[in-house]
Amino acid sequence: MRSRQFPRARMDCLSREFGDDVLVYDLQRDVGHCLNSTAAAAWKLCDGNNSPPQIARTLSRQLSARVDESVVLLALDQLADAHLLVEPEVPVERLSRRVAIRRIGIAAAVVLPLVTSIVAPTAAQTASCLHNLQPCTANAQCCSNLCLLNRCVGG
Amino acid sequence: MKKLDRLDWAEVITLSAFGVRAGVRVNVSGVLPRVLPLLPPGWEKAHRSIVQRLYSLVVAQGCERPGLRRLHVLYADTMQVARDAALDQVLATLETDLHRYTAEATSDVTFLHAGVVGWQGRAIVFPGRSLSGKTTLVREMLRLGATYYSDEFAVVDSSGLVHPFARPLGIREDSSYAQTKYTAERLGAASGVKPLPMGMAVICKYEAGARWQPAPLSQGQGALELLANSVAVRSRPHQTLRRLHKLVRHSVFIQGTRGEAQEAAASILNLSCARNRLETA
Repeated sequence: MRSRQFPRARMDCLSREFGDDVLVYDLQRDVGHCLNSTAAAAWKLCDGNNSPPQIARTLSRQLSARVDESVVLLALDQLADAHLLVEPEVPVERLSRRVAIRRIGIAAAVVLPLVTSIVAPTAAQTASCLHNLQPCTANAQCCSNLCLLNRCVGG
Repeated sequence: MKKLDRLDWAEVITLSAFGVRAGVRVNVSGVLPRVLPLLPPGWEKAHRSIVQRLYSLVVAQGCERPGLRRLHVLYADTMQVARDAALDQVLATLETDLHRYTAEATSDVTFLHAGVVGWQGRAIVFPGRSLSGKTTLVREMLRLGATYYSDEFAVVDSSGLVHPFARPLGIREDSSYAQTKYTAERLGAASGVKPLPMGMAVICKYEAGARWQPAPLSQGQGALELLANSVAVRSRPHQTLRRLHKLVRHSVFIQGTRGEAQEAAASILNLSCARNRLETA
């Protein structure tokens, strides 16, 4: 239970600040994440020594606005979903997102935490593929992913 | 490879593009001049014969006989990548595969799958996958006076500047999937030569009849979109992230759904003008 009580950020990811946001690249899963300012600030405070109420207090000081513990729990929930926290050994009871947002209310003083993720593409996915009727030898070469009788079909 | 090596090769070229060395060999004389325009823009002849990837093009020779189709075959190292009766189609596959390999293998620069034009000393970048309408938008921007950089790749160096990858634009006529190649000059536009800082990145998708109403995107969200179109992010994540960081330093991001390209292209150039004016004020 300690992991959720004292959440710890994974240290084996690449991260860089882009304006107010932080871009995190998970080298193990090849997934990129964009953490908005609130999520990023919460993530940085996940050092295994701070509890959610402590994180909320520190965030309030940093952002010069009252940050409710529910905001922190919502951030932790999203960070955990994105596998950016060290996994707890024992499964923990999670606060549903809907409940968290209801608790926060509509008058939150800070931007709600948001983590956006994408799976990093393979090289083949990012380069132009072969179009309809272009010769091919494998499905992966074709935009349609269908190579039939050595010709791409569709796409 | 040994079997291929034993064939008689009439013409061979070794080239270097963005630090990647590749070779193309053909078993029939007179075919190589048709290969040269398909090589990556900015390629140079390499003097070393050791290459990272060797293409072997086996052109079918002899007369066609009834009931027997003679096929041209293309190998990338030992892997067969195309086999077809139409040589033009096999050459098109050679171009696609070679450009893709160069984009993946180079560490000198970072390739993003994107269209790029130059406008008032800044690059406008449109990241997107195949068939996302990059070329259509680039072509429309050229019509409005922008400079051509690429309809395929944004090439980013270690300082975050965008270099041209000005291959001829592959334009799909009407509803056909077949592409016709046009140089920027043939479309009445100039091709860029100088590397440019990125001023704006536009994340858009096409939807028939949609009205172009772009919204701003945060720098992190924009960088994530660029990451999603980075060719070598899996093999070189540190380098990609570092270069993206430099690339987006002074740029803004917008996103939206576009209908016809004319409306979006004019709006994007106007936005870019307004931004440049604000910056110089």
